[in-house]
Amino acid sequence: MERGHSKQYYVFSPFLRIFHWLMVLSIVTLFTTGLYIGDPFFIGSQGLEPTYAVTGRLSMEIMRFIHFAAAYIFTVSFILRAYGFWRNKGDRLFPHFWKKQYYEDLLDVFLHYTFIKSSHKPCLRNPLARASYVALYFMVFIEIITGFAMYTMIKPNSWGAKIYGPVNQLLGDEYTVHIIHHYVAWLIILFAIVHVYMAARADFMDREGEISSMFSGVKFLPHEPVDIGDITDGKDSSVRDRKHSITG
Amino acid sequence: MDGKDSLWGLFQQRGLSRRSFLKVCMTITGILGLSPAMLPKVVSAAEQNPLPVVVWLHGHECTGCDESFIRSQSPLASDVLLNMISLEYSDTLSAAAGEPFEHHLEEVMKRYEGKYLLAVEGGVSTGNEGTFCMVGGKPFVAALKEAARGAAAVLEIGSCAAWGGVQAAKPNPTNTVAVHTVVSGKPIIKIPGCPPIPEVLTGVVMHYAMFGQLPPVDSQGRPKQFYGNRIHDTCYRRPFFNSGMFAEQFDDAGSKAGWCLYKLGCRGPETYNSCGNLRWWNGLSYPIQSGHGCIGCSSNGFWDNDHFYDRMPGIPVAKTITNADTIGLVVGGAAVAGVAAHGALSVLQKSKRRSGEHEEVGGPKA
Ligand code: SF4
Repeated sequence: MERGHSKQYYVFSPFLRIFHWLMVLSIVTLFTTGLYIGDPFFIGSQGLEPTYAVTGRLSMEIMRFIHFAAAYIFTVSFILRAYGFWRNKGDRLFPHFWKKQYYEDLLDVFLHYTFIKSSHKPCLRNPLARASYVALYFMVFIEIITGFAMYTMIKPNSWGAKIYGPVNQLLGDEYTVHIIHHYVAWLIILFAIVHVYMAARADFMDREGEISSMFSGVKFLPHEPVDIGDITDGKDSSVRDRKHSITG
Repeated sequence: MDGKDSLWGLFQQRGLSRRSFLKVCMTITGILGLSPAMLPKVVSAAEQNPLPVVVWLHGHECTGCDESFIRSQSPLASDVLLNMISLEYSDTLSAAAGEPFEHHLEEVMKRYEGKYLLAVEGGVSTGNEGTFCMVGGKPFVAALKEAARGAAAVLEIGSCAAWGGVQAAKPNPTNTVAVHTVVSGKPIIKIPGCPPIPEVLTGVVMHYAMFGQLPPVDSQGRPKQFYGNRIHDTCYRRPFFNSGMFAEQFDDAGSKAGWCLYKLGCRGPETYNSCGNLRWWNGLSYPIQSGHGCIGCSSNGFWDNDHFYDRMPGIPVAKTITNADTIGLVVGGAAVAGVAAHGALSVLQKSKRRSGEHEEVGGPKA
C-alpha cells in the first residue's frame, strides 16, 4: 500500500464537503434547466390547452421552478461554507496573494502542469487550484446577483427587487443581464471540466487522496506539505488534535 | 389661457356640470393608476391647481412620439392640449412658425420662469459642437440648456430623450446622448418607448397637471405606475410560455395559434412597459398581440441588442453569426480535448518519473 508511510492530514470540514456536493448538484441542475430556459429546445406539452399543459411533462413552468428552487438551495448552502470557514482552518482556501511563498508555490505547480518539472512540492491545498476557486466564487457571485436581479423583478415592489433590481440598471439594461448570466454559466461549466480533470489527475499522479478528501476530509501525504503552517498554528484545538493522527 | 385657471375653473367657464367634472376626475384617477381612494385628492387638485404651462422641444428624433401622442384616446389628446395644459410652444403641433414663434418661446420662458414644464422629445447631439441637430438656427443642445434653466421639471419623452435612442447606436457618430446627461439640477422623469404609449404620455402630463409634481418613479427614473412591470409578466401569451408552447417561425401553426413568441426573439422578458395591460390605441392591440415579438423599445440600449428575431444576440465570428450556446459547446469541447491531451501527457510523465526514481533511489515506489 502506498499509504503505508503516508501521514494523514485532516483538511476539509464536513460543512465544506456538504457544501461542495450541494454545489455540484445544484450547478448541474441549474445549468441544464438554464439551457432549456434560454432556449426551449424540446417541445413542451403542445396539443393541450395551456391550463392543463402547465403542469404536464417538463413544461417551462416546471423547468423554471426547478431552476429557482436549485438557485435558492445553492445560495443558502453558502451558509455552510461560511460556517466551515469560521470553524476550520483547512476550509480557508483563499490564496495568500500577499505572501511571496504563495507565488513560489504557484510557479512550482505551474511548471509541473506544463510538464517542465516532473513533480511539484507536496502541498495540502494546491495554490493554483486555490486561485481558481476565487475565480469560481466570483463567477458564482455574478450568477447569483444577476439571477436574483431577473427573478426578483417579477415583483418590482418586493424587498428583493429593492436589493437586486438596481443590478439591472448598473449593467445597462436587463437584456445585458440575461446575456451575462448565460455566458458566465458556460464559464462555470468550463471550470468544472478542468476542475474534475485536475482532481482526477492529482489522484493518478500522486495518490494523495485528492478525490476522496472531498468525502472524508483527509488527505494522505508521504512528505511534510509546504503549506502545513496554514492549517496548524491556529487556536482551533480540534483541528490540531486531529491532524496528529497517523495511519500506518 | 394664461395658465392660471384650474380644471374646475375651465368647466365652469364652459358651463359644464359638476357631475361631469366629477366623472372626469374619476377617469383621471383611473388613468393615473391611482387607487379609487385617491379620488378626493384628485378632485381638490383639479379644483385648485392651475393648469401647467408646457414647452415642448424636439431634438434629434423622428417625431414619432408626437404621432403617438396625438392618438391618445383616453383622455383625448385634443382634450389634454386644449383643456388640461397650456401648451405654449411645440414646433410640430403649433400652427405658428418662424421667428415670431421662436420669439414667443423666449417670452414664455421669461414670463413663466421656474414654473413651466419642459417636455423634451429626441436625443441631444453633442458631437461637432451640437451642429448635427440645429433648431431655429442654433444647436439643439444650446436651445435645450436654455429652456431647461427656467423649467420646473423636465419630461424626457421617448427613448431618444430618455436613453439616446437609435441615433446613439454604436458607433454613435453624432455623439447623441440622453437629455439628463446635459440637463441637471431639475426633477427629470423618463417616459421611454419608441414611441411611448400615448396614454402613458398623457398620463404623466396629467399627473403633473393635477398634482403639480412628477409621479413616483422607479430606480431608473420612470413612472412606476406605467413602467413597474415587465411586459412578459403582464403578457396575455404568458400561459403559452409557461406551458412550453412556442412559435418557431412566423408562418408556423404555433404562430397562427397565438403561442408565445419567445423563440422568435421577443424581448418581453426584459422590458418594462404597460403594453401588456394598457395596450395601444385605447386597448385595441399591442405588438405581441399583433403577432410580432416585443423589441424592447423602452429599454436602454435596445437598438444595439440585435438580432431582434433571435433570443440570444448574434456574435459575429469570421463570416458567420453564432450564439452563446454554440460558442459554449465549442469551447467546452476544446476544454475536454485539451484535458484529454493533458491527461495523456501526464500518464507519460508519471511513467517517466517512476523509471527515473527507480534508477536514482533504486526501489521505493512513488
Ligand atoms: S410573447 Fe413575449 S412577453 Fe409574451 S409571454 Fe412570450 S416571451 Fe413573454
